[in-house]
Amino acid sequence: MPYDAMSDTSDESLLAAYAAGEPAAARALTLRLGPRAFGLAMRMLKDRAEAEDVAQEALLRLWRAAPGWRMGEAKVSTWLYRVVSNLCIDRMRRRHGGHVDLDAVAEPEDPAPSVERSLQETARGTALQEALDRLPERQKQAVVLRHLEGLSNPEIAEIMDIGVRAVESLTARGRKALEGLLQARRSELGYDDD
Amino acid sequence: MTDKRKAEEGGLAPWFEAGRAEVPAPSGDWLARMEAMALAEQPAPRPQQAPDAGAAPRGGWLREMLGVLGGWPAMAGLVAACATGIWFGAAAPSGVSDWLSASAGDGISALEPASGFDYAMLGL
Repeated sequence: MPYDAMSDTSDESLLAAYAAGEPAAARALTLRLGPRAFGLAMRMLKDRAEAEDVAQEALLRLWRAAPGWRMGEAKVSTWLYRVVSNLCIDRMRRRHGGHVDLDAVAEPEDPAPSVERSLQETARGTALQEALDRLPERQKQAVVLRHLEGLSNPEIAEIMDIGVRAVESLTARGRKALEGLLQARRSELGYDDD
Repeated sequence: MTDKRKAEEGGLAPWFEAGRAEVPAPSGDWLARMEAMALAEQPAPRPQQAPDAGAAPRGGWLREMLGVLGGWPAMAGLVAACATGIWFGAAAPSGVSDWLSASAGDGISALEPASGFDYAMLGL
């Protein structure tokens, strides 16, 4: 069955089909969840090789959990985000001994688009990423999930294994810190012209 | 994006919009490797049951005949009657012969066109 064309098939149904041995489901789930797992890992770790490793490990765990998956118990995407988040936090702690090393923040990639506007957008995205990297890891995790991955507060609470109020508190503190960090770059990145 | 989230973002909204526009994409090579891994880890397909497998022998001519005769109880009765008929035909007990003689006399043989064996084969 061409699952790639069936965007309305739920992740849970695809995972059940995967567990039943349908190769098309394996391909469809990889194409659907692989980029999401990688994207979150990349935003958290800012290192392509590490993000690939983390996303691969998370996907491997998903495939192995598939035969025993109980429908309706957990959302596949939430489960995957949780595994990716935890693996990222582990790596960040190992990398920095529990603290974010500001000197280790990578230089922004050389932007390819030639249009000035695109350059500015890229620069803004890079500036945001740099500011995110300076937040405490839990704040960063909550802000990324909420404002970049677009998840709801209850979903984030499940992923982070905390209450919804704690999520709200973390994102609020994270946004406040970001405002302070990005304030100085407003005119530099053209926000005063918007 | 929900209104609640937009309200939360406030002055940071343009920054977040720029961040959302930059989606880190994996390489095609990595995705191909992930697909290969998914297929390698996938459980073997469940064996499909052949339609009505095993039902054919149970629904054959013997079952049909049994149904017509009234099932296994009727068949047991038929077999018992058959065996009794054969026994009477081959070696009728003297008591039975005497009783038949006493009740019907010698005429019984004249009135009986069929033998015990015939009755047994008819299942009577």
